[in-house]
Amino acid sequence: MDVSAMIPELFSALPLTLAITFTAMFVGFCLALVATTLRVRRIPVVSHLTDLYVSYARSVPVVLQLFVAFYGLPLLVALLGAEDFFSPTIAAMVGLSFYHGGYLSEVMRPAYLAVDRGQHDAADSLGYTFRQKIARIVGPQAVHFALPGYGNSIIYLIHNVALVMYIGAADVMATAHLIMERDYNQYQFETYLVLAVIYALMCLIAWFIVHFFELRSPMQAPEATTTAQIKNAAIASV
Amino acid sequence: MLELKDLKLSYGSTQVLNGVNLSVKRGDVVSIIGPSGTGKTTLLKCINYLVKPASGTIAFDQIRMDYQRADKAAIQAIRLRTAMVFQQFNVFKNMTVLQNVMDPLVVVQRKSTDEAREIALRELERVGLSAKRDSYPSQLSGGQLQRTGIARALAVRPDVMLFDEPTSSLDPELVGEVLKVIKDVTSSGITSLLVTHEMQFAKNISNRIVFMDRGVVAADGSPAEIFDAPSNPRLAQFLQSELAFQ
Ligand SMILES: Nc1ncnc2c1ncn2[C@@H]1O[C@H](COP(=O)(O)OP(=O)(O)OP(=O)(O)O)[C@@H](O)[C@H]1O
Ligand SMILES: [Mg+2]
Repeated sequence: MDVSAMIPELFSALPLTLAITFTAMFVGFCLALVATTLRVRRIPVVSHLTDLYVSYARSVPVVLQLFVAFYGLPLLVALLGAEDFFSPTIAAMVGLSFYHGGYLSEVMRPAYLAVDRGQHDAADSLGYTFRQKIARIVGPQAVHFALPGYGNSIIYLIHNVALVMYIGAADVMATAHLIMERDYNQYQFETYLVLAVIYALMCLIAWFIVHFFELRSPMQAPEATTTAQIKNAAIASV
Repeated sequence: MLELKDLKLSYGSTQVLNGVNLSVKRGDVVSIIGPSGTGKTTLLKCINYLVKPASGTIAFDQIRMDYQRADKAAIQAIRLRTAMVFQQFNVFKNMTVLQNVMDPLVVVQRKSTDEAREIALRELERVGLSAKRDSYPSQLSGGQLQRTGIARALAVRPDVMLFDEPTSSLDPELVGEVLKVIKDVTSSGITSLLVTHEMQFAKNISNRIVFMDRGVVAADGSPAEIFDAPSNPRLAQFLQSELAFQ
């Protein structure tokens, strides 16, 4: 057994890691949208419950949220009579989705509120319906304000996926530990190094994508932004 | 064609409109003047229901509404027939100049893109912004932003134009270009309501001047009646301070 053999082994756990990440990204995004809508609308009781959820997601350590999902979910699926559905991976996805959704809602809400009141006034006075206003004017501008925070929240999510090994999901981190134990802890440093590179790469790619959209935003450009400028800026900031 | 009766509105405990009455005939160019904070902006916003008056009624041709029983259809009908130009421009920041003017035509009026584009280009020509049509708001001067706002308002073919201090957040050297456009618009015969602190300009373009003070219409008359022979002492005082300032 040599060092290079462990790399493909680690990579074999990557699909599951990515599946957990993307599920949490997608479900979390939807949860954040709903939570943000409920919070800016200020509906009695419902909005307060949503506030409560958001402060849970933001203030309870993510490891703890994963344990809550891991031990809480079986009770819930038992109630629904769907025990077969439960696995550590599912618990990881649920736990991280709730964490990410709450966190992201606190990115979206300020972004929505950052859109100038006058933009609402102009759209309303021209006869836009609420949906048209959100879709055409307020939404795109809020996205612009939300992008930097969104990039951060994705990076935190990727970091926190490393915690799912505590509830027994077989991501790259868990796999690394399995490899190390099997190999009598010979290559600990090397294994962690490879792991570090994998995480760094995932974060860098995510950041690069988000940053590309940031630079492309029309609200950003003080003068006409060319593709070359976007590329240069992106390279300079890596 | 537009009649507001006994409009009352307060923000929290501050009473801003104390029973405003105002009626505007078709083709009128009415300038609304008055001290800062008397509710001029608020009054214009009431017409489009951007703020909610506590009581009062509005009649716009055959559309009638009591603000205590606000009704969506009436609000929308009035919004579609008026267009507002804002002190802070409120040009859509995520769209180019051309998109700003086209978007309401496509989205609200359901015109085809080609037709909307044609109308938008004509209005941009009129306000002298053809060359800037593909620029984003972040790339424009205040004067250009306000002319975009005016083109967007004109493009919807409103029956009434509502201007809220269109030049008061502009650098002095940019005021002229915007006033020129407004003068062109008001002299084309479109009914207009203009809140302004530009006294000389108001006198030149209006056929009626309304003086608002402490939440009510305190004087209402022809430019000559208001400027040359102010009967109301608060009006005389206001005019004096404005002239001293200019
Ligand atoms: N959203 C708001 N919340 C609370 N108070 C407000 C709000 N908008 C305006 N006001 C207050 O209402 C009063 C009238 O405001 P308004 O903007 O209508 O005055 P105005 O006559 O347009 O003044 P100006 O000439 O300075 O533009 C002011 O005292 C202002 O402070
Ligand atoms: Mg005002």
